Amino acid sequence: MIEARGLSAAYGDTPVLFDVSARFSAGRLTALVGPNGCGKSTFLKAIMNFVPVSGGAVTLDGEPILKIGRRKLARRLAYLPQESQCPDYMTLGELVELAGYSRYSLFGGPTEGDRELFQKALGVVGLEGLAHRQVNRLSGGQRQRAFIAMILAQDAGIVLMDEPVNHLDMTYQYATMSLVKDLTRDHGKTVITVLHDLNLTLAFADDVVMMREGRIVAAGPVRETVTPETVGAVFDLDADIFERDGRLVCLPRMDARCRTLAA
Amino acid sequence: MRHRGAFLISAAVLLVVTLFLNLSLGAIVIPTSTILSAFLSFDRQDYAQNVVLYQRLPRALIALYVGALFASSGSVLQGLTRNPLASPATLGISAGAAAFVVGGVMLFDFGLEAQGFAALAGAILGFLASLTMARFAGLSRDPRGLSLILSGALVSMLLIGLANALLLSDPSRRADLLSWISGNINHVYADRLFSVWWLGAVSLGLLFALARPLTLMSLGREQAASAGVNVDLVTRLSLAAVMVGSGSAVAICGPIGFVGLVVPHLVRPFVGQDQRLGLPACALTGAIACLLADMVAREAFQPFVLNTGVLLDLLGGLAFLLIVKRFYLAGGEAAR
Repeated sequence: MIEARGLSAAYGDTPVLFDVSARFSAGRLTALVGPNGCGKSTFLKAIMNFVPVSGGAVTLDGEPILKIGRRKLARRLAYLPQESQCPDYMTLGELVELAGYSRYSLFGGPTEGDRELFQKALGVVGLEGLAHRQVNRLSGGQRQRAFIAMILAQDAGIVLMDEPVNHLDMTYQYATMSLVKDLTRDHGKTVITVLHDLNLTLAFADDVVMMREGRIVAAGPVRETVTPETVGAVFDLDADIFERDGRLVCLPRMDARCRTLAA
Repeated sequence: MRHRGAFLISAAVLLVVTLFLNLSLGAIVIPTSTILSAFLSFDRQDYAQNVVLYQRLPRALIALYVGALFASSGSVLQGLTRNPLASPATLGISAGAAAFVVGGVMLFDFGLEAQGFAALAGAILGFLASLTMARFAGLSRDPRGLSLILSGALVSMLLIGLANALLLSDPSRRADLLSWISGNINHVYADRLFSVWWLGAVSLGLLFALARPLTLMSLGREQAASAGVNVDLVTRLSLAAVMVGSGSAVAICGPIGFVGLVVPHLVRPFVGQDQRLGLPACALTGAIACLLADMVAREAFQPFVLNTGVLLDLLGGLAFLLIVKRFYLAGGEAAR
């Protein structure tokens, strides 16, 4: 289990995260949602210690994360940035092999077990047989799946994802999120992901953390936490939330405030 | 993977062939049998064998050393900064090393070993000055890294200008370094090679040891850290190795620009991004490039002998334009 307690962070003199506390249960998919600039991505980066943390602490199964070395941490915690970039000429096979870095010795390489894991990771994301292809020559959806395969190949129990469906069309958004959901359901991973789309959150997440202006407004199981009241408090938006065929749907109302923003 | 290994083997074979050609061709053409005799049963009275051992071999070894070091350093810098224009020449490293060597000789009468350390200090200072200037110019808001290259160019101009001013200030002592400052692969610098070669060996050894984390860092600092790389440590160690390697190369024969910038681009389509293959491939190809350039500079314009650095700078200018077109200008294949 991963837990943040009283986490605060700032970019230079600008504070962006204020005393944020959250506990993420094992084997569940938690979505971080909120308006642009509310600190969702910074929260993930603060957990990874990628931004200067001015207060608070993150623990992994009770152990302070800062006391765990990078290589040991990589075996337990993986992070997928918002804009994953791959240099030209790097193949899918090389990308996936790099993910096992934390398990290799200085001059060693992957074991037979590692290679089986890489094949399995490519199979899970539906890219088996493409290991020799350059990552930058894959389609947008395939590229995103390639980076998810990298996360799988890293074989960490906890996965942090920063907007994994950014820039993808609706089909790929749902396909990718199904894959992310499978990570928790079939592979026992704990996934914490930043999402912009509340309907994707309602369709796939188990838990949600709703943020605004660097603070958590509401957190808990999706069905109980995402309500018209919390959506209004977080997004300044009137929305209807209703159930259809057993699934929750969030539909914003086109009121005068929305039209003003759109204009 | 198989064809990537084949590239390495081909490059190694080509290096041996180029080395032999370098020893053989010149004002007098020396046959292979005489070259082999010079190594296996040296005859002090044989003029051709003396030419091989005391002129052409030191010159070829210098070309090999600086080519391997500059090309490997360029590959590492391009990966670390994720900038296709990064190289020891474009980030102020070569100019810093050159300015400090000139300053050391002209102002303090430095000997060869002291010049090696001056080059190292200058390389560090040149790079830090470029980085600091780029940060002032808004590097953090410049994802394509042009501010870093422009700052490097400015710092290089300032430092080379300073070195030239020092050289001009004392006509009686400038002769030794006047040719050196424009990058001159010459057998008269053999003593320099013998006093600093171990720095290059340490540098290459360290870079090869860091090859896998360096490959991961080409994905970005966060992605590399997530996979378990101690990003700060790897950055510091590899930059230190680059400073030591390129600084020592500059200390031998002055700043040579083209190799560090272009060779990594030439090699990547064949061996990919994996630095475990990329670094040896760059070292071999850089050595071949310098040996070939040295032959052309020596023979193509007879009776004149051109400085290898001048020839490579001319080619480097053209290559710089092509890289800018590919990566930065609209319509370029890789422009984003």
